[in-house]
Amino acid sequence: MFSSSSTMTDGDYDYLIKLLALGDSGVGKTTFLYRYTDNKFNPKFITTVGIDFREKRVVYTTNSPNGTTGKTFKVHLQLWDTAGQERFRSLTTAFFRDAMGFLLMFDLTSQQSFLNVRNWMSQLQANAYCENPDIVLVGNKADLADQREVQEKQAKELADKYGIPYFETSAATGSEVDKAVVTLLDLVMKRMEQCVEKPSADANTSDGSSKLSAAPAQQKKCAC
Amino acid sequence: MTDTMFGSENEQWVCPNDRQLMLRAKLHTGWSIHTFQSERQRKAQALEKRELDLIMSVIHRAEQLELIEQHRIGRLVERLDNMRSSAMGNGLSQCLLCGEVFGLLGSSSVLCLDCCMKVCTKCGIETTAGGQKRTQWLCKICSEQREVWKRSGAWFYKALPKHIRPIKDSILDNRKPVIERGEQLPVARSAPISYTWAQSRVYLSESDGSDAELSECSSDRKTFASETNQRRDSESSGGQVQTPQSSFTSPTRGNVHIESPSSLVSEQSSSSSFNPGLEDEVIDHSRTLLTPPALSRAGSLRSSSTSQKSEGPQADANRDEDDLDQAFGATALVASKKEEEPDVEGYDSDDSTTLGTLDFSLLYDQENNALHCTINKAKLPVPRYKKGLKPMDHNGLSDPYVKLHLLPGASKANKLRTKTLRNTLNPVWSETLTYYGITDEDMVRKTLRISVCDEDKFRHNEFIGETRIPLKKLKPNQTKNFSNCLEKQLPIDKTDDKSLEERGRIMISLKYSSQKSGLVVGIIRCAHLAAMDANGFSDPYVKTYLKPDENKKSKHKTAVKKKTLNPEFNEEFFYEIKYADLSKKTLEVTVWDYDIGKSNDFIGGVSLGINASGERLKHWFDCLKNKDKKIERWHTLTNELPGSGYND
Repeated sequence: MFSSSSTMTDGDYDYLIKLLALGDSGVGKTTFLYRYTDNKFNPKFITTVGIDFREKRVVYTTNSPNGTTGKTFKVHLQLWDTAGQERFRSLTTAFFRDAMGFLLMFDLTSQQSFLNVRNWMSQLQANAYCENPDIVLVGNKADLADQREVQEKQAKELADKYGIPYFETSAATGSEVDKAVVTLLDLVMKRMEQCVEKPSADANTSDGSSKLSAAPAQQKKCAC
Repeated sequence: MTDTMFGSENEQWVCPNDRQLMLRAKLHTGWSIHTFQSERQRKAQALEKRELDLIMSVIHRAEQLELIEQHRIGRLVERLDNMRSSAMGNGLSQCLLCGEVFGLLGSSSVLCLDCCMKVCTKCGIETTAGGQKRTQWLCKICSEQREVWKRSGAWFYKALPKHIRPIKDSILDNRKPVIERGEQLPVARSAPISYTWAQSRVYLSESDGSDAELSECSSDRKTFASETNQRRDSESSGGQVQTPQSSFTSPTRGNVHIESPSSLVSEQSSSSSFNPGLEDEVIDHSRTLLTPPALSRAGSLRSSSTSQKSEGPQADANRDEDDLDQAFGATALVASKKEEEPDVEGYDSDDSTTLGTLDFSLLYDQENNALHCTINKAKLPVPRYKKGLKPMDHNGLSDPYVKLHLLPGASKANKLRTKTLRNTLNPVWSETLTYYGITDEDMVRKTLRISVCDEDKFRHNEFIGETRIPLKKLKPNQTKNFSNCLEKQLPIDKTDDKSLEERGRIMISLKYSSQKSGLVVGIIRCAHLAAMDANGFSDPYVKTYLKPDENKKSKHKTAVKKKTLNPEFNEEFFYEIKYADLSKKTLEVTVWDYDIGKSNDFIGGVSLGINASGERLKHWFDCLKNKDKKIERWHTLTNELPGSGYND
């Protein structure tokens, strides 16, 4: 459904969507975004200083109720990368407000980063543009099976508690990386449709996969 | 976003929002450079120059993307305006866009969902929501409007963000000046566009008023930063609006709850006050056919104040009454003998009846602690023990009036008096005098003494006769009629009189407020105070103390009520004290007579606390037991000064 194209510095796109990655330091936020935008892996760990962002042009296709291919739009993604260290906390939270969707990341090989997911959820509810923003929970470093500390069942229970989707990704192998971002983009686009066409309900039940991701969206309030 | 944060010189200055201030604090720019931080904190949080440069480069990169975005939004807005200006029809009988006429011979029309205008099927767009089978139509203008709203991010910022509209003559050589000039234009043009959409959105979100308000409020903003800040402010102000409402509702309910019992008590009080008057009126009417009720009521109104001398018409009415009494003289004599009580002092029947008879009625209103004494009439003989002397008056008649006292403790405080009737031995007063603050304890202990006297202008008033009624004979809320023989004046037990002289009564309310964590003392009113001035009145006021009081901070005073022995204060004083400490305290209430230029006179006082006794101790205990409940009681003022060394 999504195809990537080279990043262009012109205004030839239909939507500008701003997403933000947050989580503890060292969980792989920068590496994850680098894998998504450039499809490359940098094993070296370089601490992000404060704030950074990457861009990517993708093609988004809406699902029509009759099953045929809907309209396609060019979406320009601005992917904000935040520093997970405490000393940059007040700087990075200032950027939460302008993000339309969030990638909440933790490290599957670090139990502490998983426990801190609750703290990051509190930060989101306090600093985001509304109290229930679109969030996707991402457990990174899934390729390190021998060092795994967080079981998939635990993470799914936490995600179900918050009503958000959960993906286990690997920036090293690129597994599930695209799917996580695509799911978040889907949630944001659906919320946009609901905001503009508020009188009519946007219940897209024909597609099975979209029904799964639409169910949490229906539980949330409209941003308008 | 970031462009507004570090606004260019051409822009209008906008007060920075919280996020900008936060960012400036971290970057040590703007106002926050001088914020108070300890040196250690500042070093720990300070960013290195290299880190600062990295962050600034990221922000600069974001600004470039933002500029591209603003141009793109400007093109969208331009396209929408062109579509609007090219509309030709009126939207009613013609297509809104192409102006084609509708009708039987014309094309069919559809109604736009957003603007409610009619368009032909070619100029409309059919939209089918997934969940609904019914198709909805939008005109191309409204459809384009929705697209602009989505693509510009206005759905997210709740208003059209800042944008740069294209210039018509695109000359490459003048590109930079054109861009700079273009930046100023959106301020003027974006508002009407947003407002138009807000109008449309108001229609869409008709059921949700608050959302419409937010949209309208947002549409008034012109700049991006204000819009972002306004959204946050709208949310927070929305919360603030709700919080005062909830806090406002709570005291309202509390007030209603407090006022309801007060209203009920007030209604009961007023209704109870009315009933005794009605009963008295009936009694008066049955006994004195010739006396109009208005005159009787007038007599009652004057009962608390000084007696006034009767006027001529009154005397004429009494003379008519005199004739009637003579006609029924034999009947009265028989009735008088029947009601005769055993003579304790050994006088024969002739001597006991020679002082005359008195008709009166008593009613004890238990709820209001009021004793109503209605003095109807008397039949007085010519005193025989002065037969050899010259008569008291030239015409052999008297000027009688009636005095009331409550025994023991007779003093000026509890004296009541009727008016004086001139030149008659058969006076008809038809007057009701009322004692207030009479408790059940008083009804068991007290005796009412009724004295008939002869007023003399130039000499001392003469005593005619008296009668005494133990108040325990009366049943509460039940009128009892008396027709007693008058007797000689009995000696007063002076020992009892000297122990504690009564100085009147005071009604006090007590309530311990858990909410305020203190004692609320209410001085309601006083009754039958002792007269301290030569004019027969006092100018009373009340002082209250909560003892022990090291700094004398617990002193409170009421206002001075001029020239009255029955003042109404209705004042409340608050003492901040813990509930655990309240039981160790004693409330002292003193009543004083205010004198200008002289030291004030002490009228009476009362103490409430653990060391008190009787009704006062009960009142204090009831206050401690029942928190947050207002308890009113009458208390007797005594001449004993609470505490020593008190002077006003």
